Amino acid sequence: MGDLTQQLVEQIQHAHATKTALNIQAGNTKASLGRHTSGQVIDVSQHTGVLSYNPTELVITARAGTKIEHLNDLLAQTQQRLPFEPPAFAGEATIGGTVAANQSGPSRPWFGSVKDSLLGLGLINGYGQAMQFGGQVMKNVAGFDVTRLQCGAMGGLGLITQVSIKLLPAFKLTQTLTFEMTAQAALDTMQHWSNLSLPITGMCHFQNKGQSLLYVRLQGGISGVEDAQVFLGGESLLPAKADAFWQALNQGTLMQRQDHQTLWCWGGPSDAPFDRVPNTCMINWAGAQRWVLEDTSNTRSQGLEKSLCQYQGGNRLGEVNGTVSVPQKALQQRIKHAFDPHSILNAGRVYSWM
Amino acid sequence: MQALQSSLSDHALPISSAPIRTSTATAKNVALLIHELQQLLPASSVILSTESQRPFECDGLAVYQQLPLITVIPETVDHVQAILRLCHLYQVPLVPRGAGTGLCAGAMPHAEGVLLVMTKLNKILHINANAATATVQPGVRNLALTEAVQDLGLYYAPDPSSQIACTIGGNVAENSGGVHCLKYGLTVNNVLQVKLITIEGQLITLGGEGLDEPGMDLLSLFIGSEGLLGVVVEVKVKLLPRAPRVQVLMAAYDSVTKAGDAVAALIGQGIIPAGLEMMDHLAISAAEDFVKVGYPTEAQALLICELDGTDAEVEEQLAVVSECFKEHGATSIRIAKNATEAQALWQGRKAAFPAVGRISPDYYCMDGTIPRGKVGYVLTRIQELALSYGLRVANVFHAGDGNLHPLILFDASIDGQLEQAELLGGDILTLCVDVGGTITGEHGVGLEKMPQMPYQFADAELAQFRRLKEAFDSECLLNPGKGIPTLKYCQEYRSLQHG
Repeated sequence: MGDLTQQLVEQIQHAHATKTALNIQAGNTKASLGRHTSGQVIDVSQHTGVLSYNPTELVITARAGTKIEHLNDLLAQTQQRLPFEPPAFAGEATIGGTVAANQSGPSRPWFGSVKDSLLGLGLINGYGQAMQFGGQVMKNVAGFDVTRLQCGAMGGLGLITQVSIKLLPAFKLTQTLTFEMTAQAALDTMQHWSNLSLPITGMCHFQNKGQSLLYVRLQGGISGVEDAQVFLGGESLLPAKADAFWQALNQGTLMQRQDHQTLWCWGGPSDAPFDRVPNTCMINWAGAQRWVLEDTSNTRSQGLEKSLCQYQGGNRLGEVNGTVSVPQKALQQRIKHAFDPHSILNAGRVYSWM
Repeated sequence: MQALQSSLSDHALPISSAPIRTSTATAKNVALLIHELQQLLPASSVILSTESQRPFECDGLAVYQQLPLITVIPETVDHVQAILRLCHLYQVPLVPRGAGTGLCAGAMPHAEGVLLVMTKLNKILHINANAATATVQPGVRNLALTEAVQDLGLYYAPDPSSQIACTIGGNVAENSGGVHCLKYGLTVNNVLQVKLITIEGQLITLGGEGLDEPGMDLLSLFIGSEGLLGVVVEVKVKLLPRAPRVQVLMAAYDSVTKAGDAVAALIGQGIIPAGLEMMDHLAISAAEDFVKVGYPTEAQALLICELDGTDAEVEEQLAVVSECFKEHGATSIRIAKNATEAQALWQGRKAAFPAVGRISPDYYCMDGTIPRGKVGYVLTRIQELALSYGLRVANVFHAGDGNLHPLILFDASIDGQLEQAELLGGDILTLCVDVGGTITGEHGVGLEKMPQMPYQFADAELAQFRRLKEAFDSECLLNPGKGIPTLKYCQEYRSLQHG
């Protein structure tokens, strides 16, 4: 545990001077996401520690290498939580990697993604300059929002050294209900329930071993959850079983991808009909995220639809994310250059051209 | 801001006015630009006369005024695209503007530039009740959007005080908040997609149809960029279902520190109210005199708390909140018995700014944000600072998220008092930074807070902002002189600090 900022700054300054490609790594749990790239590893895993946590402020600041599991344990002691429910990936995922890869969990449609809870961060750009953006307060509109810009950038704009995150109170009660229904019926049902002001924090439809089930998670105050349970009906799932389900969903292990398979992820409007994404086997985020598992040999080679991402498996050297417009591509390249002029930081992780 | 506008309409720029980039456009270029704009747009959409441009010379912060060279009011996205292309071609600066309700002079025109008024692009293009989204043009008023979806049981969450007039495009530019952003977030948390026109006239769509896009979060970068990166032409927002029950309560305290502690304790206990506002003694008295809703005028601080959810949830929270307020020394607690009473409790808070306007010829509204736990200390320190300047400060603010709105009372007709008010304002903002906060929580930097930018940010950070700006607008034609100080400006600032 310790502050390695100076060491990381020096490593990046050296790489900038020598134009050496770097691969930012901490828990190494995101290696299967994005494109495969080469580069000298710059290790953030020992840059750990909670820098400040005052429960009444509902804010925590931690170094980037701090593990999600550690944060979850710490926050549970004061009945608080990370609002975006990031996957812990067998305890190895870190907060820096989570922000860079924009990883949020099943509660995304109701409690937002990483950006919705991110208040500030420390960043070392491609020049090797350590900078601070945002802060620890709830509202801050001074300067451009460089903080949230990092969400999903996969380290391509800088090495994240520390983050400040807005927290929420822990739920008093959690209950998972299941409903046997087809995928299209589940889409309609999810739409309807989403607009009813119910304490829902997860809605997922999963077809597996001949079963076709809609999972609905209720979380919140005791009376709110109990009332909603009565209102919705369905089968109640035992806590241990429910927990295992949502964990597996969050960590991407629910569908058990084999080596010869590619896992595709589609993101779009929650009310898109089922056949908008052929061969969907799992629907998450109340319809806004859909998953397809296919043999890699079937891989769609005709260029990726904008909203479809080759999440895991398949060829990781080609593009894995959908195409963007020509002006936006040029803009992203100029932004990359504004942070990392020699393109030494995680170059090519999101797109081959960046 | 009525009072401020009326009494200061002929006031010169205050001392803190930042240097504005001088346009490199030649007189010939300007003549060509005007000629082409007149070809492109209806005659009524190209305004050249001083008289007709006068209403556009400032935004809600009327102490900063400047007439533009030319005002254009496009009616279509194609118009916007063509205007930006022409400004780029002829190297003429451009300042975008919505309803002009902003409070940081972010929409103050450029003397040698075009003022682009977006209010005629005011159509709600699509409402998707199933997915709870709406797609609107930037000139749609914030409240008009909520009114358009209320029959569907939905609403648009960000609700700045100016919501009756301010536009969604302006909200995107400023990342506007409001009294309910403690629970429901700012504009950045409620916008799904933005279509913008670059200075070269290219249309770019940020964000997608779904919740998250791959790659860097350009949508979040753009929101709150104060018209420095592009011009918004379409916005898709998230709508929320109306809560079945809303409950308002009010607690009075004999000190601001006690009220501040009650706020911190409540949040620490796991309650996030839909809104949690605080007023100090001067604001309470002014509001009560103005709207007469029964506020306890002897109180030193008043908390107004709104809870929402299902009946059961609200009942559960109400018990915790009442107990917490009592424990922290509330001298009285009033729970609204019905919607009318709730409305009355809010009315005083909502009328607080004009109410303060009645007790002072002018006032100047600040916008720092601080950690919640520092509210008591900062309010006390603000009063000490005010005393040293011989000025009064009333406080009405979003206590739940630590966003202060100190209102500095002054009289611009007294020589030097505006400058004193400005200096006090600057001291309050640096105080916010010193306690770990920021110079602006929701109003933006604009022209007004440029002097404090080098206090909050180091040179490397400001240089990064400038490189980012150049990635969008390499010739700095979009809203020049606002938001991000130039290198020269920062050097002058630092030498003043060390001198």
